[in-house]
Amino acid sequence: METRLRVLLLAAVLCACAGCSTIRGWLDRDEPAPQVSEVDQAVSSEAEEAEEPAPRVIEPEVERRTIKVPKIDTENVEIGAYFGALSIEDFGTNSVYGVSAAYHITEDFFFRGQVGRSEAGRTSFETLGGNVQLLTGDERQFTYYSLSLGYNFLPGEVFLGRGRAMNSSFYLIGGIGSAEFAGDERFTVSFGAGYRVLPTDWLAVHIGVEDRVFESDLLGGSKLVNNMEAQVGVTVFF
Amino acid sequence: MFVTEPYLELRTGPGRGYPVFHVVPREESVDVVKRRTDWFRVRTERGVEGWAAQREMLKTALADGTPFTFDAGNRAGFTSHRWELGLSAGDYGGATLISTYGSFSLNPQLAVELSLSQFLGNASNGKTIDLGLAHVFLPDWIASPFVTLGTGYVDVDPKATLVSPIDRSDQTAYVGAGVRAYLARRFFVRAEYKAHVVFTSRDDNEEVDEWKLGFAFFF
Repeated sequence: METRLRVLLLAAVLCACAGCSTIRGWLDRDEPAPQVSEVDQAVSSEAEEAEEPAPRVIEPEVERRTIKVPKIDTENVEIGAYFGALSIEDFGTNSVYGVSAAYHITEDFFFRGQVGRSEAGRTSFETLGGNVQLLTGDERQFTYYSLSLGYNFLPGEVFLGRGRAMNSSFYLIGGIGSAEFAGDERFTVSFGAGYRVLPTDWLAVHIGVEDRVFESDLLGGSKLVNNMEAQVGVTVFF
Repeated sequence: MFVTEPYLELRTGPGRGYPVFHVVPREESVDVVKRRTDWFRVRTERGVEGWAAQREMLKTALADGTPFTFDAGNRAGFTSHRWELGLSAGDYGGATLISTYGSFSLNPQLAVELSLSQFLGNASNGKTIDLGLAHVFLPDWIASPFVTLGTGYVDVDPKATLVSPIDRSDQTAYVGAGVRAYLARRFFVRAEYKAHVVFTSRDDNEEVDEWKLGFAFFF
């Protein structure tokens, strides 16, 4: 009961504040325009007559152009796919694929989300133990996502032959996310670095390395596992 | 746009590290092709294309002599903007929380917020989705407090090792408060608390506290 009252009370406060800020503009609009009294008008018209400017010799016939700036096409979003190899600790190295989307906030920083999937191999225990199966087929799927902040540094150019230069840049990236593996989902911290080459203004080729770290108690005691990933990707700016 | 400064430098790429390869003299005009972050790709009268910095573009003028103005992503933008996106980490009833949010501002004080979160704990994992209103007090201050109110859904997935696990999906309501503080450029820090009430199908409603800290940017 007490909670409901608290929610109700805070709701009322919020609505009141929000309402005030929204209707503030309306109140201003209703204010009557300042009235000019007839006496004032008479005085001002007399003054105008007295100070009437000399007639112009030439009436300029210049048409004033009104310029409307069209909406500028912004290209801050980068979307693409990648492919690579993910080494799942104790479970061997396997291929990984995924999609990524990034928003470039400033020339230095970007915000990136990635979703990827890989399939774990067999541990050495399983290989040596013959028929032992630690995980079922579904549990071997390693699906992760990460939300990261990237920092561009070392901008430069790559030269191809005599007449072609492509922009390039290194970046550092770090973020948080989760990894679903062996029937459980775990909080994951990821960090890495990458290299981006832009053959044209809107197309980028990436090479990156990233480590995805989480705590796992799958093989006995709880430990931090490092899952190194190398990826090659293509993204498009728009 | 007309160049009003002695010259306008064009670079090969959208960044201060890329070399200057062309210079547009005063009184010549350029066309803006596109914009990426704080850089403008422009085309000169002779057809040369290159990237010009935002601070230099602010000094160009339109054909009628008025200065060329645009959203520059500065402190004024922090006070009044349309969109916000953010990422934060924290605690949701004892579980580790990963949370993202997006907001659309109706005016400098009032915004509609959508937040998607995932919590990963020892006893259970789950996801939440919240939709609500945020009211910012004193949006022109460098650190401005705000209050939130809204509703959402929580989907709890208890770990299988527990006795009688049940997947639950319940409606929630929340009230909250927080502070956002301007960092630089388009960035700000956002700290937030939300008190959730989970309307369970059992006799008692559940209360969950959510704390989070993260960064966000506006555009």
